[in-house]
Amino acid sequence: MIQKSDDIIIKTLARILVPFIQIYALYVIMHGHYSPGGGFQGGVILAASIILLMITHGLKDTQKRMSEKTVAILSSSGVLIYAGIGVVCLILAGNYLDYSKLAKLLHVAPAHARSLGILGIEIGVGLAVMAVMFSVFFDISRGEVSQEDEDE
Amino acid sequence: MEVTLLIEAMDTSFRLMEDARSQAVDLLNTAVKLTSETRDIEEKNIQAIFTGAQEAKSGFQNLVVTFLMLFAFWVLLSGKYDLFHLALGVICSLLIAYLTHDLLFANVRVGDARVIAYRFFAYIPWLLYQIITANIYVASVVLRPKQHVDPQILRFKTKLESDISWVTLANSITLTPGTITMDIRDGEFIVHALDKKVAADLNAGEMEDRIAHVFMEADHIYVQDALDVAPIFGELKRGL
Repeated sequence: MIQKSDDIIIKTLARILVPFIQIYALYVIMHGHYSPGGGFQGGVILAASIILLMITHGLKDTQKRMSEKTVAILSSSGVLIYAGIGVVCLILAGNYLDYSKLAKLLHVAPAHARSLGILGIEIGVGLAVMAVMFSVFFDISRGEVSQEDEDE
Repeated sequence: MEVTLLIEAMDTSFRLMEDARSQAVDLLNTAVKLTSETRDIEEKNIQAIFTGAQEAKSGFQNLVVTFLMLFAFWVLLSGKYDLFHLALGVICSLLIAYLTHDLLFANVRVGDARVIAYRFFAYIPWLLYQIITANIYVASVVLRPKQHVDPQILRFKTKLESDISWVTLANSITLTPGTITMDIRDGEFIVHALDKKVAADLNAGEMEDRIAHVFMEADHIYVQDALDVAPIFGELKRGL
């Protein structure tokens, strides 16, 4: 049951914490190639922050911030970034996801190109995971709302 | 001879009295002037408080403040100070700030954000002191052979007005051992207290007063901040 929380303490603290959770999620995504973490973990944290907002502030308020359409666009563009980088490597006469071939395109050393390529992949994975996680939660809760509407 | 002396003495005393009177008139005049000046300053300060609130309500300032806070948090997390990672941090902070600046600073009330931040940090040491003394008291209650525990539930209406000050009060109460905030319903706090002394401390309302002062609420907006009486007293002392 996704309703607005009545508890002012939880609501206020969630509202203050959400931006910091989100910047932490982006930190996890962006530093995935240096430290533990990466696209999947960061994406899940990002989705969790939006789910927290949904639990505390209700479905309608969250939908204003992130509609179903946005979620669909984000998830598919995440996959597109992932697949796109792989295909670009194919086009540049390498294997699929062979980042060192990106060096010609980016005009940097092959090692640096690998680092940047992985970063791009992380961003794609993060976007896709966030959007899919959220849309799963979204679909479950929307099912309940439509049932409520039928009851009324 | 004695009569002349007497007359002279009276003369001197009259002159002294005259001097004193004129001095007193001067003093009163300066006091009046200073009061009107202070009132001007007070009005200006009140104006500043209100315009400050209006500015804070404008989205752009919220965006900038949110961005700065998030970027500081990013730098703290990242620990990499090369251009590439800082640029990533700027982009990410901008993105999140754009998406959530209305969340971090929702329900902004009348009040100067800088003063509130300053007072909030000044409030923390006092809270820590309260927590330590309450810890010692609760430990003494628990360790005493004869039990004096007398649990009770308090209900009180708060004079605080905004959600952020309610939350600060509720969490301050919960952080202090012996008392736990159970719920807030329409500005009414429901608090569980361990015994009578703890409940009496809470009912005295010092914590509430301090939080009202931190967030510039209730009657704490003008009195202590805008009207600074020190110049008047300084002038009076110099005159005497």
